[in-house]
Amino acid sequence: MSETAKFTADILTVAKEKAQSMTSQAEAETQRALKEAKADMTREADDMIRNARAEAEGVKRRQISEVRHRIKLQEQQEKSKILADVLERTRKRIIDITNDESKYVPYLASMIESGIREIGLDNVVVHLNAGDLKRIDKGRLEREVTRKLDKSVKMEWAKDPVDTLGGAMVSSKDGKTRIPNTLDQRFEALEPKLLIEAGKVLFGN
Amino acid sequence: MSGIETVKIIVDAEKEAAKIVEDGQKRATEIRKRLKSLIQEQREQMLKSARKEAASIVESAEKEGKAEAENYGKGSQDEIRMVVSKALTKKDEAVNRLVNIVLEGKA
Repeated sequence: MSETAKFTADILTVAKEKAQSMTSQAEAETQRALKEAKADMTREADDMIRNARAEAEGVKRRQISEVRHRIKLQEQQEKSKILADVLERTRKRIIDITNDESKYVPYLASMIESGIREIGLDNVVVHLNAGDLKRIDKGRLEREVTRKLDKSVKMEWAKDPVDTLGGAMVSSKDGKTRIPNTLDQRFEALEPKLLIEAGKVLFGN
Repeated sequence: MSGIETVKIIVDAEKEAAKIVEDGQKRATEIRKRLKSLIQEQREQMLKSARKEAASIVESAEKEGKAEAENYGKGSQDEIRMVVSKALTKKDEAVNRLVNIVLEGKA
């Protein structure tokens, strides 16, 4: 091979090597960049799946929780309905008792006695509802109360009736002190207890 | 071979070499240029598949949740019916107790 041919061959070899090196470098850079990009996109995809799993858990929890809430509400409504009915029946039963003088008078006497003990006076006014004022034998009632009190207290019967299912209100003569011992007042005061007790009977284990 | 001929041969070789390097450079540029679209393409493919999987996970959870909720609902409805039916048989007992409490008047 002549010197010239050798020289030109060297020139071409160097050029080919340079071209090859440029291509290889670009490919290496590409592979590196692709690897990094894949790591990023894998992370992104994993995040997406992880978020979906969390969302899925949330969806399940929400569905169950909604049903639980609805059921709880329904249960409370059903129980409230039954409790309200029991309270109403109790009220009716008490009205029935107030209509049965033989059962009612002893209770009425107890209510008046308790009112008199609470007010602590020897001279009191007893207020009854219109029905009781008309039909109850006040002499018998007074005797019953006196017997229960085991002492003599002067009782006057108020002419104006009180608006109540039954029971009595005991007041001082001047009307400044009043002890309401009516069935309505008892009902109202006892309602929380009545609900608890009814709940125990109806829904207790 | 004359000197002019020798110089011509060398100049031609230099030209060919420059062409080889230029082609190499073009290939490298082409490879780099392809990278962006390659990454974009792979990313879209991977995320599309992830999105599909994610949607399927949520959809399955919705179905499972619905089924579990229905089961729970059925069980609870039965329980409520039992509680109500038991309570209904005890209404009279409850009324009696409440009447006594009201008449006794003990809070």
